[in-house]
Amino acid sequence: MQSTRFWRSREGALVLPALLFYLLVYVYPLARIAGWSLFDPDFTLKFYREALAEPAYFKALRNTLEISVLVTLIALALGYPLAYLMTTTSARARRVLTVLILIPFWTSVLVRTFAWLVILGQNGLVNRSLVALGWFDAPHKLLFNMFGVQVGMVQVLLPFMVFPLYGVMSRIDMNIVRVARSLGAGPYKVFVHVFLPLSLPGVAAGCILVFLLAIGFYVTPALLGGPGQITLATMIDMMITTFLNFGFAATLGIILLVVVAGIFALVSAVMGVNRIVGGESA
Amino acid sequence: MSAGRIALWLLAGLLMVFLIAPIVVIVITSFNATPYMEFPPRTVSLRWYLNFFTSPHWYQTALLSLRVAVFTMIVATVLGTAAAIGIVRGRFPGRRTLEAFFVSPMVVPIVVIALGFYFLFSGYRLLNTSLALFLGHTVIATPLVVVIVRAALQTTNPAMEFAARSLGADFWRSLWYVTLPSVKAAIGSAAAFAFLVSFDDVVIAIFVAGPDSTTLPKRMWETIRFEIDPTLTAISSLLTMLAIIVLLAVELLRRSSASDRIES
Repeated sequence: MQSTRFWRSREGALVLPALLFYLLVYVYPLARIAGWSLFDPDFTLKFYREALAEPAYFKALRNTLEISVLVTLIALALGYPLAYLMTTTSARARRVLTVLILIPFWTSVLVRTFAWLVILGQNGLVNRSLVALGWFDAPHKLLFNMFGVQVGMVQVLLPFMVFPLYGVMSRIDMNIVRVARSLGAGPYKVFVHVFLPLSLPGVAAGCILVFLLAIGFYVTPALLGGPGQITLATMIDMMITTFLNFGFAATLGIILLVVVAGIFALVSAVMGVNRIVGGESA
Repeated sequence: MSAGRIALWLLAGLLMVFLIAPIVVIVITSFNATPYMEFPPRTVSLRWYLNFFTSPHWYQTALLSLRVAVFTMIVATVLGTAAAIGIVRGRFPGRRTLEAFFVSPMVVPIVVIALGFYFLFSGYRLLNTSLALFLGHTVIATPLVVVIVRAALQTTNPAMEFAARSLGADFWRSLWYVTLPSVKAAIGSAAAFAFLVSFDDVVIAIFVAGPDSTTLPKRMWETIRFEIDPTLTAISSLLTMLAIIVLLAVELLRRSSASDRIES
């Protein structure tokens, strides 16, 4: 018993190299951002005051939230039926769907964003096809606006919605659904009163994940968005590369971090409660 | 099939087109003989691939990306695997919190992480070096390794390690001959994904890389913003191929470990 305990602690020590690395190369840089946002060179809150008072920064925050909420809702509306189909179809069809989702999922975001620049451009595939079909009189502006950003971001983030949804749906006991059917409930009623409530943890997990990732998204809004889609992330880059305003860049970074950490803390508190309520048997 | 099922499959089909279309279009466009990025190409050639492999402007950035990705893969895999074993097999308070901490770089916006590196490395005059890239990429790749290896460890039986220990193997022997082999497929997959995360990163490169340390994605980024070079289509299809190769490798590893388990 004594030797067992010793062995256990030896295994625990294996976390130390990673812990040291994280403290030096992850926590310390984040602390430096906080430092840049609070000192100039003495302690000051002027960056935060100005960030909240300046309409341009406030608008970037609003754009970020607007884009993220919309992406999350679209991804949910598209991802839910897809995950439902994956849950209820044959194993072979599910494999095909999974592979078709995984290949773009692991392909560089930059490549996929570049592809939309080619496809949605003035002379791109979509405009030319729709003009040729007579749906459009002239090429539409499909890029450098909200439409372009939504297309690009939903394409990247949809799998992050589908996988958690499928994870929860695939564990739903379909016998419950069958029982409800055999007791006389119609398909619509069964879905609304039985399947949908059971799938809600997946909805929550998928929405939170997509929203968190969307808030910090950089490449796609920067390349497919216009002046109306300047987000906190793209503004941070502008502050560093164009305006050389490190204090503001740091302040915006901290605001972004606080928003994400706040959501994360809130969610883990709520999910933690769920784990306590339903987790004893698991 | 009911009308509802047909509607579901129709939607799923459209979504698959939506997910796959960008990749398919860019791969086909890369075979254009003209610089106009026509789809479908009227005349076919490999000139943009040739351009990539023959102009130092492009292939040298790919060589740098490769070097950084290999170092990142090795270090992230070692750190992440050790951390995963420590979390799953170790007995100490705060393991759950530590696990959340190790995984947290996945949800912190990458722009914020990149900004932190910018401040850190500019303070030590390390901006524009491949060391900065390697350290940054290791931070974003390690969480992935922790998640994958941890999941695999939880399906293995620690009794095997107890057995090895009771038969006289010391800590390192049982780690090397029992624990690690039992999750070698997961470690291989994690390494492959760590490589891909580093090779594809553009955000950290934008913040910490300079003229002497331009990675392939950073060069692509600069090119996309200021001109449209059809070489980008060839590079895009090569990067897509890389992702598919990584996924195939992971699938082969998964199958080999599944057959191992059936044999034993």
